[in-house]
Amino acid sequence: MTELVLPHHAAGRRIPLIGEAAIALAFAAAGALGYFLFPDDLAFLTRLIGIAFLVLSLDLVTGYCGIATLGHAALFGGAAYAVGAACIRGISDPFALLAIGLCSGAVLGLVSGALISRFRGLPQLVLSIAIGQLVAGLANKLQWLTGGSDGLSGLEPGKVFGVFGFDMYSRTAFLLSFTVLAITFLLLRRVVNSPFGLMCRGIKDDSLRARMMGASIYPRFVIMYGIAGAVAGLGGALTAMSTGVVGLDSVSFERSAEVLVMLVLGGAGHLWGALIGSVIFMLFEHIVAAANPFHWMTLVGLLLILIVVFAPRGLIGPLTALCARLFSREKKT
Amino acid sequence: MGLVLSILTDALAYGMVLFIISIGLSIMMGLMRVVNLAHGAFAMIGGYLASYAMRNLGVDYGVAILIAVLGAIAASVPFELLLYRRIYRNADPLIQVLMTIGITFFIIGIVNFVFGPTVKSIPLPAALNGPADLGFRMIPTHRLFVIACGVVTALGLWWLVEKTEFGIRLRAAVDNSGMADALGIRTEIVYGATFALAIGLGAFGGVVGAEILPIEPFYALRYMVTFLVVVSVGGAGSILGALSASMLLGLADTTGKYLAPEFGEFFFYLAVIVTVVLFPHGLLGKAHA
Amino acid sequence: MTKMSRSILSLAMMAAMAGPASADVIKVGVIGTFSGPYALFGKNFKMGIDTWVAQNGNKVGGHTVEFVYKDEEGPNPAKSKALAQELIVKDKVQYLAGIYFTPNAMAVAPLLEESKTPLIVMNAATSSIVEKSPYIVRTSFTMWQNTVPAAKTAIKNGAKKVAIAVSDYGPGIDAEAAFKKTFEAEGGAVVEAIRIPLNTTDFSPIMQKIQAAGADTIFCFLPSGPPTIGFFKAYVDNGLKAAGVKLMSTGDIVTEIDLPSIGDSSLGVLSTYHYAVSHQSPENKSFLEAMAKVGAGPDEVAMTGIAAYDGARVIYKMIEATNGQRDPAKAVDSVKGMNWVSPRGTVSIDPETRHIRQNVYLRVVEKVDGKLVNKETGAVFSDQPDWALSKR
Repeated sequence: MTELVLPHHAAGRRIPLIGEAAIALAFAAAGALGYFLFPDDLAFLTRLIGIAFLVLSLDLVTGYCGIATLGHAALFGGAAYAVGAACIRGISDPFALLAIGLCSGAVLGLVSGALISRFRGLPQLVLSIAIGQLVAGLANKLQWLTGGSDGLSGLEPGKVFGVFGFDMYSRTAFLLSFTVLAITFLLLRRVVNSPFGLMCRGIKDDSLRARMMGASIYPRFVIMYGIAGAVAGLGGALTAMSTGVVGLDSVSFERSAEVLVMLVLGGAGHLWGALIGSVIFMLFEHIVAAANPFHWMTLVGLLLILIVVFAPRGLIGPLTALCARLFSREKKT
Repeated sequence: MGLVLSILTDALAYGMVLFIISIGLSIMMGLMRVVNLAHGAFAMIGGYLASYAMRNLGVDYGVAILIAVLGAIAASVPFELLLYRRIYRNADPLIQVLMTIGITFFIIGIVNFVFGPTVKSIPLPAALNGPADLGFRMIPTHRLFVIACGVVTALGLWWLVEKTEFGIRLRAAVDNSGMADALGIRTEIVYGATFALAIGLGAFGGVVGAEILPIEPFYALRYMVTFLVVVSVGGAGSILGALSASMLLGLADTTGKYLAPEFGEFFFYLAVIVTVVLFPHGLLGKAHA
Repeated sequence: MTKMSRSILSLAMMAAMAGPASADVIKVGVIGTFSGPYALFGKNFKMGIDTWVAQNGNKVGGHTVEFVYKDEEGPNPAKSKALAQELIVKDKVQYLAGIYFTPNAMAVAPLLEESKTPLIVMNAATSSIVEKSPYIVRTSFTMWQNTVPAAKTAIKNGAKKVAIAVSDYGPGIDAEAAFKKTFEAEGGAVVEAIRIPLNTTDFSPIMQKIQAAGADTIFCFLPSGPPTIGFFKAYVDNGLKAAGVKLMSTGDIVTEIDLPSIGDSSLGVLSTYHYAVSHQSPENKSFLEAMAKVGAGPDEVAMTGIAAYDGARVIYKMIEATNGQRDPAKAVDSVKGMNWVSPRGTVSIDPETRHIRQNVYLRVVEKVDGKLVNKETGAVFSDQPDWALSKR
């Protein structure tokens, strides 16, 4: 772990904002690429970004705190339902809706974090599942709020800045989602490299030692869960606004399991890993699953097994190793 | 009064199905400390095999159960040799979760490719079909059979674990694997045998429980959580724990279905959260360091 | 990394190929359940359309019609909306069709006006769907349409106390309301009304509740497919059938596809429905023969096949009326009041509601030559509108 953290820091010390600026530029380039190269696929790319938020959020608790959870979709879906319900009741300003998603996600995160992070191992896993299922059950039951099995449809968020409406080509939705993602990513980078973030990672690697140092574990994990909830909530809000629909799939167990797969595919414990994992998984799903969903399941299963056996650190592992080698070679010459 | 009795009998039947399928998982988790989310996938293989055997090969119910159990064990061997061995007693639950989810997806894909993506019914023999009169209500005869199966399974396992040579080795390996090894118990053989036993029980439960938990394409995913939850509530490795957890959760779920059916599985998971918070290591489980 | 760049490349190629459709090819996007537990109903969409094309060719007035299929899998509104969006934006379809589940149809509806795309619903049966957009026409049925005759039949057969059990979603709630209203208006009493979550598999508690309520008849609706089998077993095995409690339904719980799995316990069940595969008419005979030619196995034809067949007829008429131009208002207007003899009987598109008017038949499950069929009893409720919509 340490060898990956240090270079970031060294760079950060030398020229303060250069890392951020580079990342922002990279994001802008990627966004422009997506916008101009695939104008017909913006709806899909927007959905991808929504899921990327959830994967980033999961990375915060699983990758940085070591909490294994199979109920993470509850935060995403809970926020999506909150946004949907608010939108139907007349709150249509996109930024107000984003704020609603962020807050409801954060609250859900704090509550479930307060329950889940008290335990380790199996009880923790089971609790995360049970909370996820409980939220899914409520979403199904509270028909007046959530539409039950029919879901909420026909959401019509207002125009961004009063100018750019959400259209069927998803141009506005894509640009908005992408911008929010870039900002969130930069902020999260700060969070995970802050003393707070490093301490979480330290607890994950050796909780006994961390406790010896006088660090209290529980409140840190709950706060991290709250942040993760806010991030997931943003994703839920953006997805609800761009698709105009919130359904039971957004809180389902399958969704939770899928994002865990994406995270591990990319590499848990790295923000870039979360992004890479969601992009690759969603692209593949888009192409293969459309052909035959069961072949897709076979493929995902196989991929997952291979990753666990051969690259337990995810695809980011070999990638960063490669980068590190290139970097050090440059230094020597 | 009639209502209470009705709830209790249905809860008993449902609880027994949960017990038969989950007890294999419980033993496995107690001994090998593997969070095996793919347990339901092997139960599903059993169900599909039984359905195929009865409908396409025309064999009896009993023979079909045998085919299902042996077939599922046979199908599980390569997974055990290549994959599960790597994660026995591996401390990181995340790795276990991921690998076994991977196995589940893989099995779902393959099974549906081979047998087709439709619901598979397992026809019942005439003796188990139709209603039986309990005096206060009619009950599907099959449910009485399921309850009997559950009782026999529980007693059989108790005998196996408490009264046989294998049971002694098994308990030794559960308590202290390293010491058992040092004393000359071939733990990898114990592991292998336990794995086969667990899978066999899962497949058996999948077949006899098919009336309550129907065999369908996403069976493994749909009930993945249910079985794991039973084990966790009961405490891994405890027969009595799994039995009481199955009964408790069966009762919570059935009562919910009677009194507020529109809430679905809400009460089931509420019961789970309460028990896990109160008893993190399960009703009758031991804390593993 | 190579995998990623390859998939990006393939995306780019797909984007390049999906350029503006050549003027004389008119694409129709069909969204249906082509995988999973409801796959046979989606297959019926395709077979019904194929049958129509086999009989009438793929050209309408010089325009070639091309059908593009997408898989909605299950009740998943977000996915269906994404599929519809993709069909409109990428495949440039001029018409949308299909859709098995109500929530999915509701999610697609808001896209239609902006994209000027008519939608021909070939199954989803909640009444209010057609009100979600003026560009929706439906060729299947609604719960109100099939349920009102069921309630009338129940009264006629002497039912006094009825328990209603429906799936807890749009169509189920419609069915409950329709039955309750009609049955109570005629003087019957509803003693129990249960809404069952869609993913329920164990129906024993529900049967016990119904028995405790002392009902003499059960009216039920569940979406055709896996749940119906368990429902029937619970009905028989909990002794309700033996105790003489009658089971009535719309045809959805006894579709010809599910009957072999349900088995003999379905014998004698009464249902009111707009189409039985066993319907006796020359049109139906030739329809079934043509369906077999496009790949329908025995026991594989269901109500979605006939809805798709008639839906394709409606689409052809729309293309003819607009001469292949994108003009949704004109297209929809052209089929208002359209009537024809379908394999299910005489039907017409109600100009007010854009929903199909049709006969509803009372059928009973019987064994004919060792095969379970829905046999029409002769009682016909002719030219039924959608009772929920036409009242307004």
